[in-house]
Amino acid sequence: MFGIGLMKGLFTTVKHGILTYFKGYKHPFPKRYFTEGPAPRLEPEGVGLFTLQYPEEKYKMFPRFRGALMHLRDPETGKPRCTACGACALACPHGVIEVVAEGKGKERKLVDYRYNLGRCIFCRLCVETCRFNAIEMSHEYELASYDKDLVLHLEDLLKIGDKSGVSEKDWAWK
Amino acid sequence: MDLESIFPRLQEIIAQWLSSFLPGWLAELLVILMVVLAIVLMMVVVVMVLTLLERKILGRLQDRIGPNRVGPYGVIQPVADTLKLLFKEDIVPEKADKLLHLLAPIIIVVPALMVWAVMPFGKKLVAADLNIAVLYVIALGSVTSIAILMAGWGSGNKYSLLGGFRAVAQLFSYEVPMGLAVLSVVMAAGSMSLQSIVKAQSPLPFAFVQPIAFLIYFICGVAEVNRSPFDLPEAESEIIAGYHIEYTGVKFAMFFLAEYINTFAVSAMVVTLFLGGWKGPILPSYVWFFIKVAIVVYVFFWLRASFPRLRIDQLLNFAWKFLVPLGMVNLLVTGIVVKLNVPVWLTVPAYWAGNFVIGVIALYLLTRFTPKKTPVSLR
Ligand code: SF4
Repeated sequence: MFGIGLMKGLFTTVKHGILTYFKGYKHPFPKRYFTEGPAPRLEPEGVGLFTLQYPEEKYKMFPRFRGALMHLRDPETGKPRCTACGACALACPHGVIEVVAEGKGKERKLVDYRYNLGRCIFCRLCVETCRFNAIEMSHEYELASYDKDLVLHLEDLLKIGDKSGVSEKDWAWK
Repeated sequence: MDLESIFPRLQEIIAQWLSSFLPGWLAELLVILMVVLAIVLMMVVVVMVLTLLERKILGRLQDRIGPNRVGPYGVIQPVADTLKLLFKEDIVPEKADKLLHLLAPIIIVVPALMVWAVMPFGKKLVAADLNIAVLYVIALGSVTSIAILMAGWGSGNKYSLLGGFRAVAQLFSYEVPMGLAVLSVVMAAGSMSLQSIVKAQSPLPFAFVQPIAFLIYFICGVAEVNRSPFDLPEAESEIIAGYHIEYTGVKFAMFFLAEYINTFAVSAMVVTLFLGGWKGPILPSYVWFFIKVAIVVYVFFWLRASFPRLRIDQLLNFAWKFLVPLGMVNLLVTGIVVKLNVPVWLTVPAYWAGNFVIGVIALYLLTRFTPKKTPVSLR
């Protein structure tokens, strides 16, 4: 009969609306955030509130997530592993990376590593080419900035690396 | 003091105080302006509350939280929205018809506010008890479509023009069945004044005496204020924002204001015409009025959360091929009952019998002639 579908639709929405007060977070009124950690995602048949309150709660990124580039340190010496060979700069399809180095041959030393975040497409080709286990993609995704050329330097990249706690390239692939 | 007459008493006191040091005509004018200001301010506050409530309720119905950042539980969100709109840059498109583009937002707000002059908020709380109030409200409803077409044409944008066309087609189509539904109420009440229509609804409100007229009016009301599922003039997924696409800042705020005032006005009209207006036990009459209006507004939000948008041909077919004939038949039945001069105890059963027969036939026709295109998996 006509109208039964309409009634069903109305019933479904009001059922979901009422159940948000009882299921999910189990808070009668929406709190700003909770200390219990990230909320579970809502399954297709689920009812209740499962909204992630973003700045306070964050999802854990999956291991192979490609965020900003980072430099890795040798855990023994505590020095960056980068040898300033420049393979990453050659591999990059966008010319994002600029390696600044001093000296010739054995003396060659890394001075700065400029990573132009605004142009990076997060393809990970630079990491693929690195033979010295020196760079890797981090899980950093909050990269918005107020100016257009957001260039990260060596210190920033090392800081991201320290924060991530990763010391080996390809850790997520092993 | 009696709660019922607190507002009229207040007005009297202020009038006396003003006339103690002002000439009579000026005092009277000031009192009138005061009433106008009170209504306008009340509407602005109502709109702010409505925007928050809509987002909250809609969020809940869709398993979301809704705004909860600005202030505790997000209650200051409307203030933040208003401030944002007020400080936004006012952009006038180069190809716009400057005059129409400027006038449309003003013209759309004025009738929305004027409706409240005749609305009975309570037993003694009505700004002007016109004896043709119903006609006045319907006439003001049509002015809105002019403003929308002005906005759509004046913006010089194809999407806004499409929105304007759609709005005019929709508003004009739905005014006809709406008028027919109102007419049967007017005939049953024997008056066009909203105050006497409210008083005529005893013992039963008209929604239970004439359910079909109530349904027609409700559907047309949703269509009149361009709310989902009849929100074609501003369908986001098809024509972005419809007629108000080129408006920013304060001008956009005007459209926003008018839309929500109209929603509130249609709810108030539903309550006044069909749900017994301010009538109710114990609590003062104006409290009852607002409780009932709040319930109707909730149903509006609920509809918006539940139903997908109609296509324009479905929309117009539904108005002209179904609602208009239904309204006419309903009017006929009402006319027969009124004309036959049935005894008082028999009027309500007579309406029920008539409505039942029409309802069954209408449902049968709808079921028979609605194309069944539901995919097998969904049936
Ligand atoms: S991820 Fe791709 S685009 Fe970004 S720096 Fe590495 S090679 Fe260049």
